[in-house]
Amino acid sequence: MMGILEVASALLLIIGAVFFLAGTIGLLRFPDVYTRLHALAKADNLGLGFTVLGLLLQAPGVAAGMKLILVWLLALAASATLSYLIARRALARGIEPWKSEEDER
Amino acid sequence: MSELNLILAGFLLVNLLAALWRVARGPTPADRLLAALLFGTVGVAILLLLAFAGGEAALVDAALLLALLALITGAAFARRIWREEHDGHS
Amino acid sequence: MIFDLLLVTALLVSAVHALSTPDLFRAVMLFIVFGLLMALAWARLNAPDIALAEAAIGAGLTGALLLDALGHLHRKRRERSP
Repeated sequence: MMGILEVASALLLIIGAVFFLAGTIGLLRFPDVYTRLHALAKADNLGLGFTVLGLLLQAPGVAAGMKLILVWLLALAASATLSYLIARRALARGIEPWKSEEDER
Repeated sequence: MSELNLILAGFLLVNLLAALWRVARGPTPADRLLAALLFGTVGVAILLLLAFAGGEAALVDAALLLALLALITGAAFARRIWREEHDGHS
Repeated sequence: MIFDLLLVTALLVSAVHALSTPDLFRAVMLFIVFGLLMALAWARLNAPDIALAEAAIGAGLTGALLLDALGHLHRKRRERSP
């Protein structure tokens, strides 16, 4: 008989893994740098966020939980900064954002 | 509970193998870097999962460090490499 | 067990690619990836302190330093042959 905390933790961990899978598929399938950046941000923020939330329910104490949240906040800050840097640099180098067929018309 | 952690860590490792393909093949340097950044984040998640599966609290510190240093790598790329005319095939 | 086999496969693939590619930038990227996977391997081998050192030195600092050196190399090369 699993407690409700364990079920919730497992559910959150699985949601996080699904977001990581989506990020990986996006990185493999999307057409250009900007869209891949978008996929990477999903994996960074939501995937890691749900994983941290799921593990938070298993954490033994307050200090361990605080450290987990710190990991997530650091990853958030790094992801936001890097997305900005890379997107600005790509635009400055003259890489055209990808357009769909409908946008062309 | 720790079995699920291990299974999910294995699943994320499969994701990493798929992203390795993008690092090796990626057409432009930025694509390779983005795949390497994804490696960093997924590595953090795997370390956290392993830390709670094995009861090794010190692995959380390693994950913390990894999250911090991904920023340095990416910033070095954006500010040092990519401002030059580098087409990725030189 | 499956986790360990996958980890060893990824380590070998990234190491062989990093050593055999002619593109320096690709080699640096694969080196960073290799360092990350090595950190995971140490974590798996119940050596969290070495995993910490490998994550800091192998994946983080050495990667950034190599990228910096590569940037200088490209600038020198362009100045020599405009």
